[in-house]
Amino acid sequence: MPRRLPSLALAIALALSGTARADEADLRAEVAQLRAELAALRGEVASLRAAQAAPLAAPPAPAASAAVAASSSASAGRTAAAPGAAADVRRVATTSDNATTLTGYGELNYNHPFGDAGASQADLRRAVLGFSHRFDDATRIVAEFEWEHAVTSADDAGEAAVEQLLVEHELHPGLGVRAGLMLVPLGMLNERHEPPTYYGVERNLVETAIIPTTWREGGLALYGNTEGGLTWSAGLTTGFDLSKWDATSGEGREEPLGSIHQELQLAKARDASVFVAGNWQGVPGLLVGGGVFTGKLGQGQDFAGRDARLLLGQVHARWQPGPFDLSALYARGRISGTEALNLTFVGQPSPVPQSFWGGYVQGAWKLWQDGDAAFAPFLRHEWVNTAANYAPVPPGLGAAPAATRRVWTLGANWWLNPAVVFKADLQREPDGDLDRLDLGMGYMF
Amino acid sequence: MKLRWIAALGAVPALHSAYAAVYLSTEQAQRAAFPAATAFVPAEGDAERPALAVWEARDATQRLGWLLVDRVIGRTEEITYALALDAAGTVLSLEVLEYRETHGGEIRLPAWRKQFVGRSAAHPPQFGSDIKNIVGATLSCRHVSDGVAALLQFHARRLASR
Repeated sequence: MPRRLPSLALAIALALSGTARADEADLRAEVAQLRAELAALRGEVASLRAAQAAPLAAPPAPAASAAVAASSSASAGRTAAAPGAAADVRRVATTSDNATTLTGYGELNYNHPFGDAGASQADLRRAVLGFSHRFDDATRIVAEFEWEHAVTSADDAGEAAVEQLLVEHELHPGLGVRAGLMLVPLGMLNERHEPPTYYGVERNLVETAIIPTTWREGGLALYGNTEGGLTWSAGLTTGFDLSKWDATSGEGREEPLGSIHQELQLAKARDASVFVAGNWQGVPGLLVGGGVFTGKLGQGQDFAGRDARLLLGQVHARWQPGPFDLSALYARGRISGTEALNLTFVGQPSPVPQSFWGGYVQGAWKLWQDGDAAFAPFLRHEWVNTAANYAPVPPGLGAAPAATRRVWTLGANWWLNPAVVFKADLQREPDGDLDRLDLGMGYMF
Repeated sequence: MKLRWIAALGAVPALHSAYAAVYLSTEQAQRAAFPAATAFVPAEGDAERPALAVWEARDATQRLGWLLVDRVIGRTEEITYALALDAAGTVLSLEVLEYRETHGGEIRLPAWRKQFVGRSAAHPPQFGSDIKNIVGATLSCRHVSDGVAALLQFHARRLASR
């Protein structure tokens, strides 16, 4: 660098003398020379900075490299001489840069039932703000805070909730541990539920009624990925509380697990649950995955459901050949040990089911794409049964199993860019009540 | 039973090691991309891409190609990647050096990175059509694809004539 300084001074002097002569052509030539000098200096600074950010390894053949380095740039020798120091610089630099990131997503929905236009509804379904903050290279905190239905107070329908609050720590590349309030990695929607990432205004029925998205538990988990394309996680967490089951309402019939989830709100925590889940994406464009969650539901409380246990499993696949996006998911839950509890519910409309299940197939087609904007129609068919059977009870005292619901959804997503989506769809249930138009807007960042 | 679980998780901190999320050093990327090179000569970067570092890979007689190390934002975290180009500016390999997002580590998979081999400024990678998406890592895939396309342009503009 020092040898550049005299030449820079010379260039300035030349430029000044050029002005004195007031010869325009000379002046231009000199300015051009100045620019070239400046560009060279800027280049040196940039390569120094870059070398600091990503340290240069000492070249394997010192003799050869020294010759080349000397003939090209003074910075080569300098960076090669101190690779250890440069590595330390990188560690600090990456942690201080952008340590805290603000994230968020939200959606506004409109539902218009054709059979009952008076029930049409517009709703700020949810607004979520979050952040992630990196303490150091290996450790960060991730948090998400959610408001549902716009207004939250004692007299309003809204909810405010902490959706995630966890600390992640990388133990090795490809292996980490997380602790806190975390999303359970079952299904394709629960962990990735931002509106621009799925088709349709409303979240699909299966991953609402069977897998209670947005489903989170407090606990500890290990997560990692392998060179073969497998991403996995396994955890020890809080679970559901069956003492909350209300056999008099229809809530348990609509969302069996959604009605007894705890969301780490003074959660009963005598019985730990465990989960294992994995996704394989070893072939670009293909995703195959599944997971299992199990735990006791009584939480040590003194009631007839004390020994009940949940086992929930699911498998899914998604394939994106060319402009197409095809996916399928199947989930099945089983609650054992409900006999004694259900005897206390005799005569009530919603005892605890022994098994419940759901599945869907979905196809989408990216019909149009222009830069970041895209338009994709889709069709989805879902099957859901929230009470496929009940544990045996004495004849005459049992409840009849639920019928399987079948729902068609035909619609389209229009992405203004990957983070902002407008959606429209029609939902129809041949044997049921669902027959409506949905419109929605969503975003994420 | 429960105690055993908790004891097992208690062993986790013992596995701790520093330098998480760094999968490959620059040195490793240089040697992997140009095993025959005898020198990596730092070259001028690009004022518009402050994180970009450029090395010319040489053997005793000639230029073998270029190694470009740059960063893009995934969703919230930076991804550091190394792009190796032959002397004509065709992609030899793409390596992910650092990846910090919780989801989307699959962009490190050879099968995904191989999609970039053979691309050049004349035939840049196009995300969503010839570069496949990874579910859960759409933004990472898109930004790395865009980053590679920009580096190919940089080569055509600035490196090809050197």
